[in-house]
Amino acid sequence: MDERVNKDMAGFAAAIDYDAELMLRVKGGDNASFGVLLEKHRCPVIHFLYRMVQNQAVAEELAQEVFLRVFRSRGSYERTAKFTTWLFRIATHLALNSLRDGKHERMQESLDVEVDDQPVRQVSDRRPTVEESMVYQARLGEVREAIATLPQKQRAAVLMHKYEEMEYSQIAKALNCSESAVKSLLFRAYETLRARLAHMA
Amino acid sequence: MNCPMENREGEELLVNYVSGALDAQEAAAFDQHMITCAACRQFAHGQRAVWKALDVFEPASISADFDRRLYQRIEKVSWWDRMVAALSSPMLTHRGLPIAAAAAALLVAGVVWERPSATPAKPKAPLSAEAQSLQADQVQNALDDMEMLREFNHLMRSEPAESKM
Repeated sequence: MDERVNKDMAGFAAAIDYDAELMLRVKGGDNASFGVLLEKHRCPVIHFLYRMVQNQAVAEELAQEVFLRVFRSRGSYERTAKFTTWLFRIATHLALNSLRDGKHERMQESLDVEVDDQPVRQVSDRRPTVEESMVYQARLGEVREAIATLPQKQRAAVLMHKYEEMEYSQIAKALNCSESAVKSLLFRAYETLRARLAHMA
Repeated sequence: MNCPMENREGEELLVNYVSGALDAQEAAAFDQHMITCAACRQFAHGQRAVWKALDVFEPASISADFDRRLYQRIEKVSWWDRMVAALSSPMLTHRGLPIAAAAAALLVAGVVWERPSATPAKPKAPLSAEAQSLQADQVQNALDDMEMLREFNHLMRSEPAESKM
């Protein structure tokens, strides 16, 4: 058990060092390392932003801004925390600002009409029937709406916890609040989601 | 095992149980507890349903030209980065000076652009609104970046001190 924990910790530390090391190389002028960081973190950042704003075009635009800011901040980057925590802090900051500025007032509308944003379902060996597709779309609509109606910070906390598997401490740093505040945000959010989605069991 | 439903720490345990974040020993203890506790069983059932329902929300596919667009934007702003780097050179080591210089540059640019001309201006190629807003945005973004990084570094530095307390 202890050996496994030590191994996990070593892997974790190595991961910290690797991303931060790459960022320090970017700081030193190695733009290829920025490409490596982009390749590694592009999907998680866009997926997080997509679930936050529920609009793929806006999510990509915000993600561009995130990576642009990472690149432009390279000169003053310091290895003070895990790279992904810093990255998601920027992403969260931009997403919350964007939502707060009311740039996504059409979000509710987008839940119904933006067919292009719909995820491509992975079908293993056959095409889904019309009925299955309708059931899936209905469930997806319910989930998207349930997430969209959460207060913004609760939404960000749930998305980082559920989909990015971030620890409470990382979420706290990304949201610039205490760990206990994150737990409180999460429990209230899950309480709301249980009330809205428990029937989907 | 005391019932986790009785306090806030218990809720954390319940959420961790459903998300698979408990170690095997803790999970087994909670499994044992649920045999006799209907409230916890109900909570776990509801939370598990939420956890599973959220899996439906798959991300959409990413545009094929995402990287190309990003690198184009990086290229566009690189001139500004060079200017910031020049302002941050060893000759200007004072911490607040680059920000002050950038803000001053913005103010000067604003005054120059807004100043009414004493004589009718000769027809000349106007600075496009797009270019003006781009420069203003870039200044604002650069200031935002510096402020965010400064706050983040401050937060990170203060944490070890707090944890020792």
